[in-house]
Order: sequence, then structure tokens, then C-alpha cells
Amino acid sequence: MNKKLSRMQKYFFGILFFCLAATSSKAQICDTIASICNKHLTKQYISDGQTYRTLLLNDQYAEFRTTFYGGTVYRIAACSGLTDGNLIFTIKDQEGNVLFTNKDFKNAPYWDFKITSTIDCTIEAMLNPETQASGCAVLLIGFKQ
Amino acid sequence: MNFKSWFAGTLTLAFVSMNLISCGPGEEGNGTGDGGNRDTGANMTISVDGKIFSIPSPFQTAMLIKRAGATYDKKVLNSPDRVKGYATRMQKALNLGVYGADLGYVTMYDQNQDAIAYFQASQKLADDLGVSGAFQKTLIERFKNNIGNKDSMLVLVAGAYRSADNFLKNNDRSDIGALIVAGGWIEALYFAVNVNKSKANEEIKQRIAEQKISLGNLIGLLETYAGREEYAEILNGLRDLKRDFEGVDYRYVYEKPITDEGSKTTTFTSKTTVNITAEQLNSISSKVEGLRSLIVE
Repeated sequence: MNKKLSRMQKYFFGILFFCLAATSSKAQICDTIASICNKHLTKQYISDGQTYRTLLLNDQYAEFRTTFYGGTVYRIAACSGLTDGNLIFTIKDQEGNVLFTNKDFKNAPYWDFKITSTIDCTIEAMLNPETQASGCAVLLIGFKQ
Repeated sequence: MNFKSWFAGTLTLAFVSMNLISCGPGEEGNGTGDGGNRDTGANMTISVDGKIFSIPSPFQTAMLIKRAGATYDKKVLNSPDRVKGYATRMQKALNLGVYGADLGYVTMYDQNQDAIAYFQASQKLADDLGVSGAFQKTLIERFKNNIGNKDSMLVLVAGAYRSADNFLKNNDRSDIGALIVAGGWIEALYFAVNVNKSKANEEIKQRIAEQKISLGNLIGLLETYAGREEYAEILNGLRDLKRDFEGVDYRYVYEKPITDEGSKTTTFTSKTTVNITAEQLNSISSKVEGLRSLIVE
């Protein structure tokens, strides 16, 4: 009985430990990526005050809905993993027209956008299948003063 | 303790702990986590609940107001003295957003003493909400050291709000983050309707009308928490406001963007036109004032 109790205890504490570790590492991974990504938002850009992040697997993609105001220059930084080029992002307008994809530019980790007229967009982000099977995707938006 | 009671206790503890600490996928569903109901097929997308709604920074509206030539008006701000009166988590979070927008506004107008007061009010609410890490003591020193350099001040404030947002998402408290964003959005719109009321301005009127889509995104963000009783009043107020915005004429014409690879810049040349009638503007203004009172008073 004592042996059995000890095994059961180990099992349940193991689950608890795994869950704590998984949660903590998930947050830590996203945090690390967010700090790496933040380097792309140079001092000229003011953050919109939010961090957009999600965990992605394989060919999943996340959809970010946003509004870009006319007369503003925005910078979008998109990161996953510890190196650049792991996140593909595509900006579409409300009619589904592709306005930009960093796939055409070697998965550039950031890009600037001059907005002439206020526009509502959807940003789709997915992992580069050649480099990552899963990971935390982070997107940061800043605007120029 | 016999084995049965130990087993039941541990099982319960494990189950509760797993739920509390979000073991496995699924932070709260405003898109900060990995979504809920994924398809299992190829090329999956995050579910409706997992869509990520981005709300423009309230600083941008404050900048527009300054650019439009409006003079500094302290009356449009929420007094930092009210900070002590905010007792509930909801009031604190919404007003942290409100004070963030106010901080952007006063900084824009070089009102440095006011800026420090708003910074301290924000810091207090952040402390109360357990996100003091975002507003560390060293930050206020850096803020004070940069007085007179509004660009740096704005970068610092926006950075603090982003740190708070990140912290909340790390700790499965995205609901608080959503309320902060909502407070900031409502305050910025409140600035715009007030400035336009005292001196009509075409650019500001346009900006008010453009909130039609942002409002939809904001409701989408808050609806994730619609089941919670305390969200009902604010959500109902926003839905009511949305009904007025639905009448705003919004047209979009696609034009091919222009990309300059050398400067890593793409210019979006598509055109959006919005038309808002005086009646719609009046009704929207009055509802925004009502919602704002609900938050700050």
C-alpha cells in the first residue's frame, strides 16, 4: 500500500510539476520573443500599448483585426523563435485583397506602412514551415510620431 | 489520512491546478492564447473566439486633436484625484485605460506637472491591479528626466502600457488588459467628441466616424468575457453606441499598394470615405459621454 501510495503521489505531483513548468515556459518563451521583437520597434515608433501573441502549430494561422489611421506611418514587427524570419505575415483589406506579405521579402521581421486613408485590415500570421513546426507568434504595432 | 481520501484530494488538487494554471492550450480567448475550437483539418485558423482584436492607440487621437489646432482643455480629462475612489477591479482597469489616454493628451500639450500627476494615478491603479512591474519606480524617474522631450515621454508611457498588457497575458488575466484598452478607446473618443463640439473640425469629425470598425473590434474583444455579469453594463453601452455607428456611411475602394523594398516601406493607397450626419454625430456624442461617465464617476 505504501509503495502504491508513493507511486501515485509521484504521478500526481509529476502532473502538477509538468503543468506548472509548461505554463511558466509558455509565458517565458512568449516573453523572450516579445523582447527580441521589441528591438524592431525603434525609438521613432510609439507602441500601440498592446502585445499580440498566440501559440501556433504547424500550418495554423492567427488572424489579427486592426485599423490603420490615414496620415500615419506604422511599423509592424513579427517574430517567432529566437531568430528573424520565422513568422510570415500577410495583410489583407476588408475585401480580402492582399496588400502585403513579408513572404515576398524573405520573411522580413518588420516592415513600415504609410497609410494614406484610414483602412481596416486583417493581418494573418503563420509560422515559416521551413524553420518552425510550432511556437509563439508575436506581433507588435508601432506608429511614427 | 487513508488512501481513498488522499487520492480524491490529490485528484481534485491536480484538476483544479490544471485549470487554474491553464496547463496545455488555451489562455483566455481574446486571441492572446492559442484559441479554443480549432479545426483539425489542414490550414487551420484560430476560432472566432481566438481572433485577435487590435485597437488603435488613444495617443493617435490625442495627436490628431493637437494637430487640428485645438487648445489644451483640462476639462476633457478625468481628474487624477478621483483615483482613490475606484474600488472594484473593473473600475480600476477601465480607469487605467482612461488615465493612459489622458497621460498621452497632457504629454502632447507639454503639460508636464499634469503629466506627472496622471503618471502617478496610472501607477496607483497598476499597483492595485498587481501590474506594478510595468510602472516601476525607475520608470517615473526616467519619465521625469525626460520632461520636455515629449517623444521620449510618449515612448515610455506606451512601453509601460505594453508591459502591463504583456504581464496580464502571461498571467491569464487578459480580461483586465481588454478593459484597459476599452477605457483608453472610450476616453480618446470622448476627447474627439468634446473638441468637435466646442469647435467643429472636419478631420476630427472624420476620426469619430472612422471608429465604426474599431468599435466592432472592441466589442469583439470584450465579448470574450460577455458571460461575466460585471461586463454587461459596459458591453450594452458599447452595443448601443454601435447601433448609431451602423448608420454611418463607410465606403472603401481598393487600390494597389506601392512597395519600396529599399526602405522596407509599403504605401497603402486604397481609399476609405466616411460620412456622418449631424444627427448621428449628436447621438454618438451623447452616448460616448454617457459611457465615459459610467466609467469615471
